[in-house]
Amino acid sequence: MGPVELLHMSVFSQSFSPCGRFLAAGNNYGEIALFSLSAALSPDATRLSQKPVLTFTAHEGPVFSLLSTDCRLLSAGNGEVSAWSWSELIKKNVKPLWTKRPNYKSSLEIPEINSMIINPRDNSLVVGGGDNNIHILDLEHGVFKSVLQGHSDYVHCVSVREREAEILSGGEDGAVRIWDSRTGQTVHCIEVYKYEECARPQFGKWISCLTTDSDWMLCGGGPSLSLWHLRSLSPTSTFPLSGCQRQAAFYQDMILAVGEGQSVSHCLLGGEVKAQIPCSSQSLNTLQLNTNSTEHRVLTVGGSSDHIDVFTNLSYRAFSLSF
Amino acid sequence: MSSEALKKRKSKVLRSEGGTPEMKRGRGEGDPQDVRVYSEEVELDGRDPEQDFLQYKESCESLATLMSEIQDLKANGAKDGCAEVEQKRMQSCIHFMNLKKLNRLAHMRLKRGRDQTHEAKQKVDVLHLQLQNLLYEVMHLQKEISKCLEFKSKHEEIDLVSEEEFYQGAPQEISRPHLTKNDPHQLTLARLDWELEQRKRLAEKYKESQATKEKIQKSIEVKKEHLRSLQPGLNAIMQASLPVQEYLSMPFEQTQKQTEIARHLPPPLYVLFVQANAYGQACDKNLTLSISGDVDEAKALSKPPEDSQDDESDSDAEEEQEKTKRRRPTTGGQLDDKRREMLKRHPLSLCLDLKCKDGSILHLYFYYLMNLNIMTVKTKVSTTTDLSTAISAGDLLKSDTLLSCLYTSDQGRETPNPANRYQFDKVGIVSFADYVEELGHPYMWVQSLGGLHFPSDASEGVRVGSSLSASHMESTMKLLRGRVQSRLALHKQFASLEHSIIPVSSECQHFFPAKIISRLARWTTISDQEYMDLQYTRHVTEAGLAKETDLYFMAVVERGTARLQAAVVMSPRYPEISPLFSLSLSWKGERSGRTDDNLRAMESEVNVFKNELQGPRPGHQLLTNQISRLCVCLDVYLETEGQDDSVEGPREFPREKMCLRTVRGPNRLKPFKYNHPQGFFSHR
Repeated sequence: MGPVELLHMSVFSQSFSPCGRFLAAGNNYGEIALFSLSAALSPDATRLSQKPVLTFTAHEGPVFSLLSTDCRLLSAGNGEVSAWSWSELIKKNVKPLWTKRPNYKSSLEIPEINSMIINPRDNSLVVGGGDNNIHILDLEHGVFKSVLQGHSDYVHCVSVREREAEILSGGEDGAVRIWDSRTGQTVHCIEVYKYEECARPQFGKWISCLTTDSDWMLCGGGPSLSLWHLRSLSPTSTFPLSGCQRQAAFYQDMILAVGEGQSVSHCLLGGEVKAQIPCSSQSLNTLQLNTNSTEHRVLTVGGSSDHIDVFTNLSYRAFSLSF
Repeated sequence: MSSEALKKRKSKVLRSEGGTPEMKRGRGEGDPQDVRVYSEEVELDGRDPEQDFLQYKESCESLATLMSEIQDLKANGAKDGCAEVEQKRMQSCIHFMNLKKLNRLAHMRLKRGRDQTHEAKQKVDVLHLQLQNLLYEVMHLQKEISKCLEFKSKHEEIDLVSEEEFYQGAPQEISRPHLTKNDPHQLTLARLDWELEQRKRLAEKYKESQATKEKIQKSIEVKKEHLRSLQPGLNAIMQASLPVQEYLSMPFEQTQKQTEIARHLPPPLYVLFVQANAYGQACDKNLTLSISGDVDEAKALSKPPEDSQDDESDSDAEEEQEKTKRRRPTTGGQLDDKRREMLKRHPLSLCLDLKCKDGSILHLYFYYLMNLNIMTVKTKVSTTTDLSTAISAGDLLKSDTLLSCLYTSDQGRETPNPANRYQFDKVGIVSFADYVEELGHPYMWVQSLGGLHFPSDASEGVRVGSSLSASHMESTMKLLRGRVQSRLALHKQFASLEHSIIPVSSECQHFFPAKIISRLARWTTISDQEYMDLQYTRHVTEAGLAKETDLYFMAVVERGTARLQAAVVMSPRYPEISPLFSLSLSWKGERSGRTDDNLRAMESEVNVFKNELQGPRPGHQLLTNQISRLCVCLDVYLETEGQDDSVEGPREFPREKMCLRTVRGPNRLKPFKYNHPQGFFSHR
């Protein structure tokens, strides 16, 4: 990897290992890098420990999504999903356990996969991507068992409400669709850009981040980041963040969001922006909280550079891992 | 005798007669008539002073007695004016007269005495003068005598033959033994005669020899003339044989001449000469070598035996000389002289001409700095076509950038010889880079070609001398040729870029769609400072990808109201290292590759995926293809922008490019990749 390639690198996805000691990060060149958090966070850490312990090319296109199950790492590339064993990766054996591609209707371009999430209810993988559809992969049998059709443009993000057996998806067409995971039918369709308090026509109508927590949903993109009450299907608060948000997460009684712009935004549920913490990248794509290990409880943020910023304390950037 | 004088005398006499009348009377009776004039002087002669003295005493006594008698009389009551007193007074008057006379005489006598003494004194003076004269004469004569005694004859300086030899060798009439045996003076004279005789004879002999010598010289001259007259004939024959030599491709004469001069080259240049020559003969017919400079000066330099010694010792000696010089108080002028001395080049230089396929020639001038023991190179490119058109290409063929970084990070600005550091410290040279303009660049590869090896931190296989030079020759020549060709190609491209035409060759036509609407509006060169000052190039500078040796340009691509600025860093090793673009778009506000993911994607389209744009080897069209790609990307960017907006009125940039999808992925990138045969745009 030459310096010019490093200069044009973007980090799109991250996932912590089940043990919480490793971080996998995917970039725009289809590479996945494994960082050792325990080494980087140890008191005798050097510059070298901020470099990946392993880098390998997983896919042809950019790795837009990474996901960890209890022993595997799932990665999504151009129209394919691969599974890697964490224990093998830690031993630096790079060999996918399996690679599967959803059944796409023939197209000139292979659709990308933008988002994946595990539905623990029936141990399936929800995959949303460039063909406007959501594919459900049965992890027990390893087959794609159903397709949820309804979006008119590509799907940016998916989320799961386990208790209600609902799947949520946000797309380029500006709609958040709520699906019944059992029947595969659309239960609700919220067109966020039509709500005046969220709409930002100067940007567009796409929904690029979506996350849920019991009855609450957080979504944003072209429209402002907004908190929704799902039972009433109405926005309760909108957050005055300038750029388009790409990922958001609930954390304790706060909301963390990243997107265009150089900072991680800390928002209160009421709609105030509490803090904006600067990062090293010009725009941010992904944020991830390590909940798998208590001793390595960190927030990591990646974006349009080869650096992944690590926050041991939410209020400032501690150091950066780099490709 | 005048009556007046007589009267005077008379009155005098009368007066004196008043004193002593009886004496006068008596004397006057005795004097003859004519000597009536009374002369006391004459009288003086006749009197005896002793008698006068007695007379004086007598008179004084009698005067005293008379006085006492008068007093007695008076005391006895004699009346004033009685006869007896009168008598006595008369007598005492006479005595007074007598005393007066005696006094006068004494005066005269004194005067006479004085006169006499004076006379005698004068006489003595005259005599003394005479004595002085005589003494002087004596001294003079003594001096003359001593001078004579000190006289040295010239003949003493002449080396004479010894006496025995003289008697043996000289003929009788000169030696005259009967005369000379006893008289050393005569002997010397005779010997001198003999010497003269001999010398005359030798002089004659010398003249004779001179004449014969001249004669011989003349004959030699004649013979030389004859030989010289042969030269043109020989030359003509040589000239006539040249076509034959050429035809048989055996340039004996020229090589012979060159090797003759080459003997005077300093060792590193000689190594380079031999190796380049060998390489030229073996592998590269388009390589020619020549030696230029003052051969005589070089000969003078190589005369002393130090030539055979190592160069190191040479520079050491120089250093020591410096040291001794250093003791003296140095003025600026002296330091300047020392610097000049230290940076002196060898009078001979080597010119290596590399001819390229298109007829352009790279001239490399190699110099050797004797005191620093390093080699430097200057370059010049001569082409078949006129190159003055492109302004932004000004730096491309300049001597100081043309060969920069031929090998990685070989900038040729600092001296590769670590010993030079200390030499510089002594004369106050801060950096060799200040002298590079004048002396040429001391690139590492130049040292290698000259067989000079300076140990650096990275220790590699140490080869010194010819083997080092030989191991570098081929690769360096190839690099040099490649460099010149790429620079010339760039030069040509710049000329058309400045006229806003992007030259795309037929081989590269398929990289781009047929219709490109964005146009290159400007292509200029900028300074590195201007580049660093730009906001949107900061990440490049921070990543250390913009170096001092690089060349910097600014391209402006325009379409409608949109104006895309591209700051370009070009490595001197282009096309091996591709140019790096940084973008800034001013359209509905300012955005740059740092803030806009799509512009960043455009940057990576030209910077990262450059291999697709390389074109035919060795990739001289990379830059123009990159700019073309940039135009295409700008078209795509503008045409796919804001399609979701429900803006009133017609779009500024109607969609003309065929795209499968306009956005993709979480950061909603536009399709910048062009698929050739189908002609649509897709995502990476």
